[in-house]
Amino acid sequence: MTVPLLSVEKLEVVYHRAITAVQGISLSVKPGQIVAVLGNNGAGKTTTLRAVSGFLGLDDARVTEGNIVFKGMRIENRRPDKITHLGLVLVPERDKVFPNLTVAENLAAPVAHRAGRAERRRREALVYEFFPQLAALKGRIAGLLSGGERQMLALGSALVGSPELLLIDELSLGLAPVAVESLMRRLVEIRDGLGLSILLVEQNASIALEIADYGYVLENGRLVLDGDPKRLLQHQDIREFYLGQTTSGERKSYRAVKQYRRSRRWYG
Amino acid sequence: MQLGVNIIVLAAIYALIACGYVLIYRVSRVLNLAHGELMMLGSYLLLATASTFTGHPLVAIAVALVLSLCVGALVYLFLMRKMAGEMVLAAVLTTIALGILLRGVMVIVWSAQQQYPGQALGVVNPAIALPGGARISTMAALLVLATAVIYGALFAFLRFSRWGVRMRAAGQNPLLAAQRGINLHAIYALAWGLSTLTGSIAGMLISLDSGLTGTMVLIGLKAFPAALVGGLDSLVGALFGALIVAAAEISLIHYVDPLLSDVVPFLVLIVMLIIRPWGLFGTREELDRV
Repeated sequence: MTVPLLSVEKLEVVYHRAITAVQGISLSVKPGQIVAVLGNNGAGKTTTLRAVSGFLGLDDARVTEGNIVFKGMRIENRRPDKITHLGLVLVPERDKVFPNLTVAENLAAPVAHRAGRAERRRREALVYEFFPQLAALKGRIAGLLSGGERQMLALGSALVGSPELLLIDELSLGLAPVAVESLMRRLVEIRDGLGLSILLVEQNASIALEIADYGYVLENGRLVLDGDPKRLLQHQDIREFYLGQTTSGERKSYRAVKQYRRSRRWYG
Repeated sequence: MQLGVNIIVLAAIYALIACGYVLIYRVSRVLNLAHGELMMLGSYLLLATASTFTGHPLVAIAVALVLSLCVGALVYLFLMRKMAGEMVLAAVLTTIALGILLRGVMVIVWSAQQQYPGQALGVVNPAIALPGGARISTMAALLVLATAVIYGALFAFLRFSRWGVRMRAAGQNPLLAAQRGINLHAIYALAWGLSTLTGSIAGMLISLDSGLTGTMVLIGLKAFPAALVGGLDSLVGALFGALIVAAAEISLIHYVDPLLSDVVPFLVLIVMLIIRPWGLFGTREELDRV
């Protein structure tokens, strides 16, 4: 069995020293894998990603239990910039680019750890190779980009840091289905081209499971399901709650769903 | 003519001091109310190096400049760093406390008497006659020149250098900056260093022109309206704000009463806060955070 690139064990995160956001979450990403984490609003997906990528003092959040191991190193509660230097880079859900900087400046700002001038230029060129649209927008202020262009720029500026593991929070949020599909394809190309691993957090379950090698499902700050994406897609809960399908093909009423959830919590 | 020259010189003084307020505010949203004291400390450092390095005035000046850059960075590293993540108000109050502390220390070390770093350095300050019958002292002319050069350099630094771009990035979104591998502490320390350096250059030139006493703090405080009138997060704004405040101050002194000198900048400030509280070039949304 291959050693995981990232492994999270029994993670517990507490905000403002009082509010527990996630509890006992364990997951792992193996080299070269795309791993999807699914869950509704408030399920703890973003908190998990933020814990892995590091909190600032401003967040007033801490990993209080469990551990996060990246390339054999414990990284919980380290500073975000140090974690980025290790090769673990986050593309956040909101505020993912610097809105008052141009596209070129957005790609110039990230620190490329231990990279010389030539290597740095190569990486920036690589971004324009993966996202040719950005090359035409070099001088444009990032705040004026469309949602899709902004997402490309965010991915590009993450790639300048030469990540081994890319954490992506809600790639599909607010984008047209066509744009999401093309971005997902681009993501697989990037994975194959650069040999990196991706941890993808998504609400859009079907599209995430389509490209993923493994999937996890979070609910209310806990891990409730995990497994092979194909198997997850067949799972009755996933079909009902994330894809809106029932076995008989008709939609369930809100009440039935609520009832079902309550019973799930007993054996989940 | 002389009136115009006076306005330009005073505007240069205010602009050079105001850019220090802007640098720190823009990067970390903290209002440094110890800026006047740090600027005065720069002038006293020149006084100290002038008596230590007697070889050449330029050596003393260079050492004093390096020291003031370090003072700014150290203030961040040892004091303000602890405030990162706390409420902005706490940080601002800390700068007030720092200012009071510095003022006390400077009186103890250098006494409250008027001192002349120019004499200690052995530099002369002859007046230069300008076309049109106006006169300007050498140091005042140097001050205008220094302001132009420093503003040019700051614009180029923020626009074209990688660290300048990172500084702007950190000012916009510190969390994303950290996630892109930027060391926020290094950026903030750099901002504090540069701010104290530019403030000290202003302080040194003023003290070379007209001597050095504890009242210099007041000049630092009077430059604050200039920064705010321009909009606290804009360097261009600081230039225009300095010009407006200086023009108002000089003309009221000339046409009304010299005693108004210390009041005018704050009058301008109040008027500005009533009609356009985010300043001439400031970002409107910034105001919510103040």
